[in-house]
Amino acid sequence: MGKYIVKRVLQFIPVFLGVTLILFAMQNIVPGDPIKLIAGEKKLDPQTELNLRATYHLIDTDADGKPILDESGNPVETPLWKRYTLYLGGLLQGDLGVSYQQSGKSVSSILMEKYPYTIRLAAVAILVEAVIGILAGMVSAIKRYSFWDVLVTLSTSILVAMPAFWLGMLLQLFFGIMVKDWTGGGFYLPISGAGGPTAEFNAGMYYILPAITLASVSTAYTARIMRSQLLEVMNQDYIRTARAKGLSRRATILHHALKNALIPVVTYIGIDFGGMLAGAILTETVFNWPGVGFETYRAITQRDWPIVMGSVTIIVIVVMVINLIVDISYAFLDPRIRYGSSKDQG
Amino acid sequence: MHQNHAVTRRGFVAGGLASTALAALAGCGKKNAGSSEGGTGAGGTLKYYINNPVAIDPYNTQEDQGTQVEHILFDALTDYDWAKGAVVPKAAESWESNDDDTEFTFHLVKGAKFHNGDAVDAKAFKRGFERICDPDMPTPSEINYHLAPIVGYEEMLSKKAKELSGVTCPDENTLVIKLNAPMADFPTVCSHPALAPVPQAALDDPASFLKHPIGNGPFMMDGDWVADQYINVKRFDDYYGEKAKLGAINFSIQKDPTTAFREFEGGNLDMAQIPTGRFGEISEKYGKSEDGYTVTKGHQVLTGAELSVYYLAVNCEKITDATVRHAISLAINRQNICDTLFEGTRTPADSVFPKILDPGMDNSWPDCKYDKAAAQKLVDDNNLAGTEITLSYNSGGGHEDIMSIIQSDLEAVGFKVTQESQEWASYLTKLGDGSFQMGRLGWIADYPTMDNFIYPNFYSTADNNYSKYNNPAVDKAIDEARQITDEDKRKEAFRAINKTLGEDMPIIPLMFYSHNWVGSSRIEKLYLDPQSKVDFATASIQA
Repeated sequence: MGKYIVKRVLQFIPVFLGVTLILFAMQNIVPGDPIKLIAGEKKLDPQTELNLRATYHLIDTDADGKPILDESGNPVETPLWKRYTLYLGGLLQGDLGVSYQQSGKSVSSILMEKYPYTIRLAAVAILVEAVIGILAGMVSAIKRYSFWDVLVTLSTSILVAMPAFWLGMLLQLFFGIMVKDWTGGGFYLPISGAGGPTAEFNAGMYYILPAITLASVSTAYTARIMRSQLLEVMNQDYIRTARAKGLSRRATILHHALKNALIPVVTYIGIDFGGMLAGAILTETVFNWPGVGFETYRAITQRDWPIVMGSVTIIVIVVMVINLIVDISYAFLDPRIRYGSSKDQG
Repeated sequence: MHQNHAVTRRGFVAGGLASTALAALAGCGKKNAGSSEGGTGAGGTLKYYINNPVAIDPYNTQEDQGTQVEHILFDALTDYDWAKGAVVPKAAESWESNDDDTEFTFHLVKGAKFHNGDAVDAKAFKRGFERICDPDMPTPSEINYHLAPIVGYEEMLSKKAKELSGVTCPDENTLVIKLNAPMADFPTVCSHPALAPVPQAALDDPASFLKHPIGNGPFMMDGDWVADQYINVKRFDDYYGEKAKLGAINFSIQKDPTTAFREFEGGNLDMAQIPTGRFGEISEKYGKSEDGYTVTKGHQVLTGAELSVYYLAVNCEKITDATVRHAISLAINRQNICDTLFEGTRTPADSVFPKILDPGMDNSWPDCKYDKAAAQKLVDDNNLAGTEITLSYNSGGGHEDIMSIIQSDLEAVGFKVTQESQEWASYLTKLGDGSFQMGRLGWIADYPTMDNFIYPNFYSTADNNYSKYNNPAVDKAIDEARQITDEDKRKEAFRAINKTLGEDMPIIPLMFYSHNWVGSSRIEKLYLDPQSKVDFATASIQA
């Protein structure tokens, strides 16, 4: 097992270098000069523009940080490989650079502000997904072809088909505005933001609608995977054996079928959690949620490359680590799986 | 109704169970109303909508969102009084200049304090100005051009000097500023909120100063700026001037005006922008403000003109013939654009000067109006029919609709028009390169001076001269006008320059922007000036 983990962690390195290098190269391809964008319609004066480019290592500078000019008085653009090396060098020291657009703020401080919101939202959404998805899947498998089964199958189809951001907007309309009108303002749910000291609701209330929206599609998938897995497992010989030796249906399902049926579900939920930690761009945008997805989206539109690079770097690491944890967890759920053994490789 | 039903079902399936579980998890419900409205005691809390600002630290305060917060945390040397139409004292109680307006001496108000108790002395202003010019700040300031007229600016920017030699402090309360060239309008420049004093703390801990600036204004930070969430400020009780009436302000950061307006309708905001297309209905419901700038109960919709202009920059190197520019200008039905797209809230532009800049004077350009017959005549007489024109603009922001009206107006007199839209970042690059023929732009003035509309846009070497306009006579006239010390004569000189621009038409002004804000009925009085700064110090709300 130890060897397997070391091997997987070493695999992180090429994946990580590949993703960041592609992203870095893309900065040069995407149109729009981020430094010109900083000023907007009011142009920067040329010296300030030079100073900004020097600050962001876009042009070569001497030891004092003064821009180096060529014979014709133009600044010398720093080549891509050099900027990438500088970036990686900074990264090894935990320095993700400084944002272009949010004057003077370091990328790590910006991401540090945003990540807690994304993590908390993802945790609540994963809870919703796991509890509702697994329960609904179990109900529909156990009571196959009943009203409940049809209800689950139908509603999961709808949820899978429905874009999450649209569901979010419907929920906002319904719980934030229509219900409010019907109850004369007596009951409704907050529809944007994450609360604050002068907020109208308790902080927890702000999670309800975004978490449901974020969890919707994957809850549906979880329920479907759970249903099909449970049905498959229940048709297997060892379940029949368990029933034949006199165990009740409930005990068979809880003690024998469920554990095996859960393996793919846990995989799915785990990988999904990794995805949610990457920030849910659509959900966070619809709900004005101050998380890392919203920040990344805004950074892309503003060509704020340091933030894009920083958040993708973190996302790559988070997703790789979560996938590793999911793979390792197989071994605990299914004793037959043994990583790193010679048989496995053979 | 049918739709409602469908929503209910889905709500039940997807949300019913989950929301029950979550509500239980969250620890239920709404806070009681009292806690949110009580604020910090007397004066009440005003809740104001902004977007996430670029900066609230004066060294880089630029757009209106950050300025809205920064200008009440910091007092600049002077202020512009719109009622008087003149510069008035603020942190400086008086000032004088030498004979040719190259040296200004400001006398600071004695005994003024920063929010942390430090004294506001002349050095604090010098410190603030030098931060703006310092290229070694975490990111160099993008608004340093305000200080470009000061001696020593270039040296500091190019790292040849560590201090701004043109700013000196003979004693604690005297600030002397030397300029490179005469500039009679300089005290108005000093009214810009970013040109503020900062305490030593700004240098000691710049990172926390970004999120929690310490100023000399009527309000102070209450906790840090929480990005994308809120900025809270409270009244500063040791303020040297008249104390604010409001107890506190909660700047609620929303991602766009539509979201903010929903919050306003829900009673969670006291000021919000009116979403496009809803002006008529909302102004009926809340009542129009009498002067367009002041919210009072029953008169809550603000429509006052702003100090800004929406225009087409014409690349004079590509459309060299002024007749073409005149014909284009005459062919555009500006009133139609204002009425159909902006419900009459914006007004057609008749020159580069918004009327509020020079009240009561006629600064209109002869051909900056809709006259289809005259346009047609120019096209016919000069054989312009079929001339190809490319209209460039940035996609989004409603510009498509404006450009489509312009396209059909121009085609109606015989021009051949193609539209070309790009998203903002690419569009700016294109404008900067000069690889455009005619492009949309907006100019929002930094200071209420005519100079600020003329110099940055039309001086041949000015950075913002996107039209590549180069008229040596105009350059000379601008240089001369800037040196005229007499207020009235200077204005007269700029009016004359404006007239010359009307003949050359390097830009085609289209509309003057105006406010589109609505206030809640809790507001007793609130004034939003033409530069979109709220006078929070005099605002009041039902506590």
